[in-house]
Amino acid sequence: MKLFDSFHEGLRSIAVNKLRSSLTMLGVIIGVAAVIAMVAVGNGASQQVQGTILSLGSNLVTVTPQAQTQNGLRGEGPASQTLTLEDMTAIQDQLGSSIAAIEAEQSAGPWQLTAAGQNWNTRVTGVTVDYPAVRDWNVADGAFFDQSQVNVNAQVAVLGASTAQQLFGDADPVGQSIQMRSLFVGSGPNARARIINFKVIGVLEAKGSTFGINRDDQVLVPTTTAQHVLTGRTTTVSSIVIKATSADAMDQTTSDVDQILMQRHKITDPANADFQVQNQNDTLAALNNITGTFTLLLGAIGGISLLVGGIGIMNIMLVSVNERTREIGIRKAVGARRQDILSQFLIEAITLTGTGGVLGIVLGWAISEVVKKIQSGIPVAITPGTVGVAVGVSVCIGVVFGLYPAMRAARLHPIEALRYE
Amino acid sequence: MSGVIEIRGVTKSYHMGGDVVVHALRGVDLTVDRGEFVAIMGPSGSGKSTLMNVVGCLDVPDSGSYQLAGEEVRTMTDDQLAAIRNRRLGFVFQTFNLLPRLNALENVELPLVYGGDGHERKERAMRALERVGLGERMHHRPAEMSGGQQQRVAIARALLNDPDIVLADEPTGNLDSRSSAEILAIFQRLNDEGRTVVMVTHEPDVAQHCKRIVRMRDGLVHSDERVEHPARATEELETMPEEPIAAPVPA
Repeated sequence: MKLFDSFHEGLRSIAVNKLRSSLTMLGVIIGVAAVIAMVAVGNGASQQVQGTILSLGSNLVTVTPQAQTQNGLRGEGPASQTLTLEDMTAIQDQLGSSIAAIEAEQSAGPWQLTAAGQNWNTRVTGVTVDYPAVRDWNVADGAFFDQSQVNVNAQVAVLGASTAQQLFGDADPVGQSIQMRSLFVGSGPNARARIINFKVIGVLEAKGSTFGINRDDQVLVPTTTAQHVLTGRTTTVSSIVIKATSADAMDQTTSDVDQILMQRHKITDPANADFQVQNQNDTLAALNNITGTFTLLLGAIGGISLLVGGIGIMNIMLVSVNERTREIGIRKAVGARRQDILSQFLIEAITLTGTGGVLGIVLGWAISEVVKKIQSGIPVAITPGTVGVAVGVSVCIGVVFGLYPAMRAARLHPIEALRYE
Repeated sequence: MSGVIEIRGVTKSYHMGGDVVVHALRGVDLTVDRGEFVAIMGPSGSGKSTLMNVVGCLDVPDSGSYQLAGEEVRTMTDDQLAAIRNRRLGFVFQTFNLLPRLNALENVELPLVYGGDGHERKERAMRALERVGLGERMHHRPAEMSGGQQQRVAIARALLNDPDIVLADEPTGNLDSRSSAEILAIFQRLNDEGRTVVMVTHEPDVAQHCKRIVRMRDGLVHSDERVEHPARATEELETMPEEPIAAPVPA
């Protein structure tokens, strides 16, 4: 029996029992749609997380201080105070053009800001001149500070877009002065406020929120200013951020930086390092691991409904074989072999699940579009891979759940089948 | 010993559930030569239908030997039997056994779906239908045809692969007398063309159209006689009224 004939027969028998076939197919349709929609949402969420990470600047390698270890004793309390601007300069000198950009940050904590009769409270961070290059974040208005301003601990500030809006409204902040007040210096009767004047020289582009934190609400000052004027931690930095030339170069850059700092900090055992070099790829991999699990879980829920749909197929195929016992007898009487009957019913089952699979993809796509509309934050991504897997799986379900009924049909004895009423 | 059908000591019993065993055939010997037209008669339960199923390779004997054109059938695999049913035999049933969802043409095509090259399938099926006088009704479904027409479709299907042997199990059992005569006329014509025809019937009138009558009783051949002057169905048809009232046909 030719494949075409089997396929033709399959379609015909589906067409004869339209209601029954469509109800049976519904199980597969819902299953496939569930898999498609669930995985699409999962993929979308994972892409969103990736996008968020990359919006912090791409190809970043970050050095942060770790607890100090001396003679095998790990220091307790805050991280070591051994990371310095000189470390940054050394990395910059030694790696030269093999890195794209480098900057060192010293966070100065929250400060009360006052300007033009308004006040606002936000975090202040000291950064070096290549911050815009490292973070892919330029000023929208005015200018970023330059090396000469860093060298002299200049009291200049670049405001985040939200901060500028809070303090100055629609007025142009560039060239205006702001006052920074530390919230708590000392305590009790000795409490006093420190008030420092800064000149606003630029406003950053708006970037939006990451993980619920408004990234546009911040004030940048030169690292040296943060060290000497704001915090008093005059030698150390809280992190050094290096931008590698490409994603592929990140691993090399990571190990280069690690070696330079090990040497500079005179550390022989990597386990005792008083710093940690973190690669953005590692962060992405960790997050992908989490979102991957999430996607797998969603996919599994869809998979279970697909399984239930498959059992429905098997059930209806058994009924169909039973109903058509006489037909099977007639076909055998005119010369159909076992494999002819087997392939006829198998192809009928595959036609059912295959059609269900295609309709399920359409439904799944529609559901993902609706999810995209309702929850605009979640991007929904249907990949060709998902579609391929869904079609493949639904055809496989046809084979798996159609095989037993088809084998029962093929094994029927022609005379008994012909006598069947 | 040159019979196209050679049956020696064939037995067949059925287990009807529990301890009940029906011995349908108890050691049948039968030889049918090429070009014969044989009627097998006998009361219900005499084993004539079982014998027909064995001859038609729809069933396999428990013991004994069945040689079809010199080949032993009893040891063949299911697929070999299917090929014989497809190419060498044409089987016509009392209840027609047409597929209700297919039209006449598609029903007739069926043997070519399972064998042959499939080339000119439609043309061959159309020619077969024209040969049984149903050229006009190719696209009718079985439910839209009279019993006689349905049986003619079944004959066209049996003839599609041009078999040497045509087997019929009470082909006129569900038909009025005119339709019966038409069917018998077709069988006689096939026999005149040189085909071997074996037909089970319990109607003596019908059996008188054959050249030889084999009577069975209790699973054995009881008598075997020649018919000196077989009745000619074409002559009977001339004396019958032109258009018969189409009798309702049980499905």
